This record gives sequence, structure tokens and C-alpha cells, in this order.
Amino acid sequence: MRLWNAIKADMLFQFKQGFYFVYVFVAVMYLVMLSFLPEKIFLIATPLIVFSDPSVLGLFFIGGIILLEKGQGVLTVLVVSPLRTSEYIIAKVLSLGFISVLAATAITFFSGYQQVNWFVMVASAMLTSAVFTFSGIMINAGCSTVNQYLLKTIPWMLLLTLPCIALVGFPGSWVFTAVPSVAALRLMLGAYWGIGWVEALLLIVYLAGVNFLLLKWAVRIFENKIVFQE
Amino acid sequence: MFRNVHIINDLRQVLRDSVMASLLMAPALIIVVFKLLLVFLAPAVASRTGLDITPWYPWVLSFVLILNAGMLGVVTGFMMLDDKDGNIAELMAVTPLGRSGYLLNRLSFASVLSVFYTFLCYYVLGIVALNVFSVAVLSVLLAVYSASIGLLMFSGAENKVKGLTFSKALNLLILFAFADLFSLKWFTVISWFFPPYWISQIILNPFAFQVVVIAVAVHIGWLVLLIFHYFKTAE
Repeated sequence: MRLWNAIKADMLFQFKQGFYFVYVFVAVMYLVMLSFLPEKIFLIATPLIVFSDPSVLGLFFIGGIILLEKGQGVLTVLVVSPLRTSEYIIAKVLSLGFISVLAATAITFFSGYQQVNWFVMVASAMLTSAVFTFSGIMINAGCSTVNQYLLKTIPWMLLLTLPCIALVGFPGSWVFTAVPSVAALRLMLGAYWGIGWVEALLLIVYLAGVNFLLLKWAVRIFENKIVFQE
Repeated sequence: MFRNVHIINDLRQVLRDSVMASLLMAPALIIVVFKLLLVFLAPAVASRTGLDITPWYPWVLSFVLILNAGMLGVVTGFMMLDDKDGNIAELMAVTPLGRSGYLLNRLSFASVLSVFYTFLCYYVLGIVALNVFSVAVLSVLLAVYSASIGLLMFSGAENKVKGLTFSKALNLLILFAFADLFSLKWFTVISWFFPPYWISQIILNPFAFQVVVIAVAVHIGWLVLLIFHYFKTAE
């Protein structure tokens, strides 16, 4: 019940801050762009757009959200409230993940992409969003301004996105699937281009496991570095 | 002289802050990344798929120029939002610097750097042949664009999170630069009212004087409107 209330409060906050509104525009702009692409490029571009924008929006927004709540004293109240840190973080991850899934679904559906594995696409968008939002929470430790946060995201983004080049394929490139973003992109591409259920299941289980570890790590960093500022 | 002292002091302050200094260097990184992509990736794509991107070079240049100017504007916008949170903007308003002095100091950073990065980007990428006059016009217009983005964020966003939402929406403005590619009349007409469209038009038609005149009018129009809005809301 506490978690559900926290999710509802976060979604309402995000709505008031215009997240949903801005993503309607983002989706429309992407759809306009996609409608002008030749078939061959459209088939490649759609999953890449869904992966590179809606799925990683959590990383972009979580920094500002935490800094604002820190400034408003919300985090201080959190310490004495019944809401656990893990629930606070999970609420943020799920509410931002919901926007990711909504935007990804809208872009895919209205683009007219044929034969999409919707279950895999939704799972991939949610799991990718969670990976990036957890990363954002950890990056946020020690930041006092949004500019500071944005700067700190650059090496993380490079670390998470550059290995994705491995999906082009070269000898031994499968090793890079261990990098969560590569696994997430592999799953996302599979949702559009086709993927065996065993591979999809393995990737989903792997990403869920990574997210569980990231949650544990994020809770520790959040409590030590952000709430108590040790 | 008075303002020069403030600008130099602000520059020192920014350079002392490693975060701000690094962020202001970010456009250089983007220019290098695009140069590397053009040198290594473009030939690889051409040899594999037969896709020649040379006809698209003016659009590539437009994209990088607008991206850099927009980024500098966003950085300035967040800097001003931090000032707003810390009531520094209000404090500045009652100092001899005044509200307009504060605005000039903050926005001049993004603008001066935009001029510098426009020249750097043009000569480093070296993918479109323009005369010096056109590059100079582009640099001034992009400086105005940077300032407009910073002002839009400062006036429109009441907190950091809204600032992020704004910056996301403002990123979309870059699409207006490519309006002609979409062959949608309504989209092109809407684009006429936005600065990015005219940046790409100057690159595509460097000798068209009327394009330069309209581009200047649109950029100045936006800046004047935003400055007017800033003073109106600050009262």
C-alpha cells in the first residue's frame, strides 16, 4: 500500500511537471521523422529510437527530481516516515518506467511497425528504463546542481552506450552482452526483428537480476551519500 | 569597463568551477565526435550499404551547430535556475549590476562561446564551403539562439525538474532545421517561425540576402520577446 501510494504520488508529480505532455511531443516528432524514412532504414531506426530515448529517460529526469526533493527537504522527511528507502526508489523507477513503456508503445504502435513482439518490447523498455534510472540515482550522489549531475552522466552514458557497438557483430562480440545496456538493446532489437523465446527469457532474467543488484547498490548509496551525506 | 570587470570575474568563477568549465567544453567534444564519425564511420557505411551521405553534409553541419548552441543555452538556463533557487538572481537585482546586468552577464557566456564554437565547428568539420561573412552571420545568430534558450528555460521553468522537461522540449526545436526534408508544407510553415530553420537555410543558401534578413528578424524577434517577458515577470 505504501509503495502504491508512493508510485501514485510520483506519477502525479511527473504529470504536473509536464513529463507526459513533453513525451507526447517527443513521440509525435519521432513519428514524423520515421514516416519519412525508407523502409530499410525505418526497420533499423524504430527500435534504436525507442531504446535511445524513451527507454533511457529515467537517467535524464531522476537527477533533477532527487535534487529538487533534496532542496525541498523531502529526503529529510523520508528518514522519519514509514516509507522505506527501497520503496521510495522503486516508486521512482516504476513511475518513470511507466512513461518509458507508454512512449515506446505509442511510437511503435503509431509508426505502423509490423510483427512486434509486444511482451518483449514492453519488458525491454521497462527493464532498460530501470537500469538507467538506478544508474541516475547513483550518479546523483555528491551532486548539488543539475549541471553537475549532467556532467557526471557523460562518462556513465559512454560506458553504457559504447559497448552497444558490439551488436554490429565481430568475433567474440557476444561477451559484451554482459554489459546491461547491450543485453537490453539485444532484447529490444529482438522484440522488433524476432527473437527465440529461450534467448528472450534469458535476457529478461539477466536484466531483472542486474536491476535487483542495482536496487541494493542504489539504496546503499542513496542512504549514505544522498540522505545522510556521509 | 564596469561590465567587463563583471564578465572577467564571472569567467574566473566559471573556470574555477571544474563542472562548469567542463560543461562549457562539451561542444568541443561533440565537434570531435562528429569529425571522427565523418572520417571513419561515413566511409564504412558507404562501402557496406552504398549510402553516400555527402549530399547531407549541410544538414549535418546545421545539426552540430544548433546542438552546440542549444547545449550552451541549456547549461546557462540551469545555471540561472540554480541562481533562482538560491535567490541570487533577486540579490543581483538590488546590486549596482541590476537585473539587466545580471541577465547580460549570464547570457553573454553562452553567446560568446557560441560564436567561438561556430567558427571552430565550421573549420574542424570542413564539410560545407561557406564564405566568412556567412559563418560570421551564423555565429551571431547562434549566439542569439543560445541566449534565447537560456532565457526560455529561466522564464518558463520554476524549478530544476521543470527545467529538465523544458530542455527536453527545447531539444525538439532542432527538428525545424530539417523541415524541408520532410516535404510537409504545414511543417515548413511552422518552421519559419523558429530560429533553427533559418540556420539551415543560411547554410543551404549562403548568398541569399533575403534569407539572412529574415533569419536575423526571427532571431531578434525571439530574443526581444523573451527579454520583454523576463522583465515583465520579474516586476
